[in-house]
Amino acid sequence: MRLSYKWLSEYVDLSGISPEELADRMTNAGLEVEGIEPMAQGTNLVIGEVMECEDIPDTHLHVTKTRIGDGENDVYDIVCGAPNCRKGLKVIVALPGAQLPGGTISAKPVRGHESNGMLCALYELGVDKKYLTEYQASGIEELPADAPVGCTDVLEYIGYDDTVLDVSLTPNRADCTSMWNMAKEVGAILERKVTWPDYAGKADCGEEGNFRISSATEKCPAFIGKAVGHVKVGPSPAWMQKYLHAAGMNSINNVVDISNFVMLETGQPLHYYDLSKLPAREITVRDDIEMKMTALDGVEFDIQKGDLIITTGGEPTGIAGIMGGEESMIDENTKGIFIEAASFDGVSIRRTSGRLNLITEAAQRFTKGLEPLSMQKAVDRSVQLLKEYAEADGFEATVSFGIEPYEPRKVTETLAHCNGLLGTEFTMDQIMDVLRRLDFDPQADGETVTCTIPSYRTDIERQADIDEEIIRLIGFDNLASTLPKMETTVGRLTPVQAGRRAVRNVMMAAGLSEIVTYTLVSDDYIRTGFRPAGDPVELAMPMSEARKYVRSSLINSVLECVQYNEAHQNSNNNFYEISKVYSSAGEEERLAVVLDGSLQKDMLHKYEIKGDFYAMKGILMKLLERMGFSGGRIQIIENTADAEHFHPYRSAEILLDKKPLGIFGEIHPLFAKKFSLKNVVYAEISLDPIFAAKAARLRFKPLNRFPAVERDIALVADSPVTAKQMLETIRKAGSKLIQNTEVFDVYEGEHVEAGKKSVALRITYRSDDHTLKDEEIAPVHEAIIKALKDKLHAELRS
Amino acid sequence: MDKITQVQDEALAAIAAAADPEELQQVRIRYLGKKGMIQALMAEMKSLPKEEKPAFGQKVNVCKQTVTEELEKRQEELNAGALVQKMEKEKIDITLPGDSISIGTMHPLMMIQQEIEDLFIGMGYKVAEGPEVEQDYYNFELANIPKDHPAREMQDTFYIDPNTLLRTHTTAMQMRELEKAKGQTPIKLICPGKVYRRDDDDATHSHQFMQSEGLVVGEHITLADLKGTLEFMANRMFGEGRQIRFRPSFFPFTEPSVEVDVSCPFCNGKGCSVCKGSGWIEILGAGMVHPHVLEMNGFDPEKCSGFAFGIGLERIAMLKYGIDDIRNFYINDQRFLKNFDRFD
Repeated sequence: MRLSYKWLSEYVDLSGISPEELADRMTNAGLEVEGIEPMAQGTNLVIGEVMECEDIPDTHLHVTKTRIGDGENDVYDIVCGAPNCRKGLKVIVALPGAQLPGGTISAKPVRGHESNGMLCALYELGVDKKYLTEYQASGIEELPADAPVGCTDVLEYIGYDDTVLDVSLTPNRADCTSMWNMAKEVGAILERKVTWPDYAGKADCGEEGNFRISSATEKCPAFIGKAVGHVKVGPSPAWMQKYLHAAGMNSINNVVDISNFVMLETGQPLHYYDLSKLPAREITVRDDIEMKMTALDGVEFDIQKGDLIITTGGEPTGIAGIMGGEESMIDENTKGIFIEAASFDGVSIRRTSGRLNLITEAAQRFTKGLEPLSMQKAVDRSVQLLKEYAEADGFEATVSFGIEPYEPRKVTETLAHCNGLLGTEFTMDQIMDVLRRLDFDPQADGETVTCTIPSYRTDIERQADIDEEIIRLIGFDNLASTLPKMETTVGRLTPVQAGRRAVRNVMMAAGLSEIVTYTLVSDDYIRTGFRPAGDPVELAMPMSEARKYVRSSLINSVLECVQYNEAHQNSNNNFYEISKVYSSAGEEERLAVVLDGSLQKDMLHKYEIKGDFYAMKGILMKLLERMGFSGGRIQIIENTADAEHFHPYRSAEILLDKKPLGIFGEIHPLFAKKFSLKNVVYAEISLDPIFAAKAARLRFKPLNRFPAVERDIALVADSPVTAKQMLETIRKAGSKLIQNTEVFDVYEGEHVEAGKKSVALRITYRSDDHTLKDEEIAPVHEAIIKALKDKLHAELRS
Repeated sequence: MDKITQVQDEALAAIAAAADPEELQQVRIRYLGKKGMIQALMAEMKSLPKEEKPAFGQKVNVCKQTVTEELEKRQEELNAGALVQKMEKEKIDITLPGDSISIGTMHPLMMIQQEIEDLFIGMGYKVAEGPEVEQDYYNFELANIPKDHPAREMQDTFYIDPNTLLRTHTTAMQMRELEKAKGQTPIKLICPGKVYRRDDDDATHSHQFMQSEGLVVGEHITLADLKGTLEFMANRMFGEGRQIRFRPSFFPFTEPSVEVDVSCPFCNGKGCSVCKGSGWIEILGAGMVHPHVLEMNGFDPEKCSGFAFGIGLERIAMLKYGIDDIRNFYINDQRFLKNFDRFD
């Protein structure tokens, strides 16, 4: 909110406290001041009188002789371009050297005429043009005829000697949107006395009238109204106009200005109706109307059921709490008014004002919530100011409904609880001092203190709220730094969290970079991703088509990321992502791995690990091994499930303990094309089954003391015979003597018959209890060769 | 007798003169071979009188031993020389670059998350987790954000249906943990994770971001304990000597609530462009767990108290690493990611 320093000083003595110091102290107490700006500024200003004013031919300029004092040397030649510059005018003069928002004024010739200063318009002193009349905004400021020539306190004379603090209020401190309440807060911070105007009871006047008010909805639970038979509409006093400007509002006329001024003072939005323009002496608040309505500013609005509407004699006349209707607007001919101070439901006001894009000062205050006594305060203060500044008379007795007797809230706190929660060693005296500053009327009984909370502090409900007031007003500076003294707890990761870190470590060891992509994806990404177990999770109100669903697979997001990197000339984009995915069937945790290019490559030293199917298989197998699963529990089988995303002959399904984890392999050329990619290899596997499966225990295996014997065999087999078939045949035929079998070469092409391939294998024989003799190995080796021949038609290569 | 000395002198001279292993081999054959000169001396012994034989034999043996030893010594010298020559020929250009080993990286947000996890685990905290697709109940209701609160409007929150949403803060996990504890203390946990809010993405806003929240509930937990805990964290994450400053603030789930500033690690609080001259940088929001939150979750605020804090991981990473655009975290440009291929 915009806080006028000058206005505030009407209630609190601010002497010796600069706006900057005030801002610091407010910020430290929780009312963050985000900006400080003077209403107007300028140095070296003086009030002058135009003694002579001659036109400069062929220009819009005038050359003046302007008097700024009574001395001989006090008449200055000043050139002025304003159309309203004329002889006899009292003006604001900026003398050479004057610092104005637009720059520094210097003495210099203009069109051959000496000019020793500038005659100023208000906007040239920094006053926002929105507060000026068109006339004011198009020329220099015309001061009253009795303006004292030679007076140098010009900003004070024109009433703009004010500074506005831009205060950011936390939602709990809506009370501070009221100047009076803000004054109380500042008084508590500065430890200075606060005086409110003597407004109480001022509306207790007038005879019983016949104006009736009622509400047909729970959303207007209370209302205070008062008919005023006579007012005199005219300009409002200059000081009031300036305060409204400081608060960011415009001046209209005295009556409307008072309604706004009182709202700013008390926090209670008000509406004044022109009594003679109301079709009936009756107001009913309703929320069941659907129609188009023209509001004060001439714009038409769609009213829906649920919007709070003011009706009179059955006719809608305004959008309650947001904007009045055109028909009952106060104008220069208004003779009598009806004052409305009502309580409207904040949520309803927020929704209506948000929908209609009418975020008015009044709507904002209703939205933040009112205090119980603000309606009465506002009516009292209205009557007081209308009498004083609008010759108000002919009052009818106040009418109201829903006004309950007010009982202030009491909160009791103890010294021990306060210090116990804060970790401080405050004394009763310190605490009592703060609570007195806040007007909480603290009553001490030993070390227990009972507070009576002022009506406007609706945020103070319990002990913790009191404790917060105490620490924020005493200050956090002296708060000690301690660590909790409590029962020892063991800090550790859960097995799943530790597992996630292990996955990350394997991925990093393989040379992959971690990515984090957005959870929300488009309709297309859902449709073309992997099919989820349940229905996709759709947002009720997405921000855009691109962010409409909670993703159920990672494939599109990850490939999009590779596409971005390729488009930015980044090669070898090898990434992994660990993320949750969702469907109506629940939450799942996935690992995505993508290989685009080489995993390792060095042209100088001539080596490369290509990011191909086998690289991916190696990474996944290593991952599962590292997680504690031996080869026997892992199955790699042909991918017969997904020919949409994967190359059907270069992909596989991976299973752990016969449970499918996911599919990996080359992305289908057509799917890759969607992201302008080629030969990209991808895996997306479920981590939950990996984290849930029981890993083999990590055990030391005694070192074998006996020598190993290696035998290489080269086979020619039919092309479709797989490595797995050969290895299994060897394992079965080889008894316990085989320690390991490795495929070290596969060759198809020249020198090998068409439809055949050559496979080289190394069998390692070793026993863990004796040195193997040739006679032991020979029959086993022969049996292996025979089995390969019999079962797979694989012959030894001649 | 003189003959033996003569042979020995000749042999030693020949050994010394041998320039390479081949010459030395010739010397070996000439003197120590089966038909060599020392063997010939032995043969002469047969013709000597019986009483002279032992002395002569001994002398020849000494001669043989001396020559053999010298020969071995010379052999080693020659070998070493040959090795040096061989190695000289093996000289490589050490200024050529080493193998370009591509090392994997962790995402900077995960680095920060892990750093926070580890430092709090060290203080006895456990790491909690919870669903990103969350119930309104945990995200708002239990966090003391009432039904009509503006934060619960469609404008700020990604709703899926009236009771389900994408969590807007990691506080939702705190509430689950509090409920699960069924009033039992102590509770010490941090809960990192992704959160979502309806923001248009720009340099400083993201509809998806990461938080890590901390929660301690027990007997006699104080605001001073919160300050000490955060000071410890700031010192670990931003370097020793950091100070913490509290400013009053408001959150529905804490009372008192504070904004927490850390003394600027870039200028040591003197004022610089990062801290905009103030010497302080706002890093997180915190406070004492609101008594109503404790009550709703089955704790007696008369018997226990607690503190909570919420850290924005992007904010920490941006500060620590000087990242100026939050979108970098989610675009995943490899050049960005590779910045983080080292320890920090």
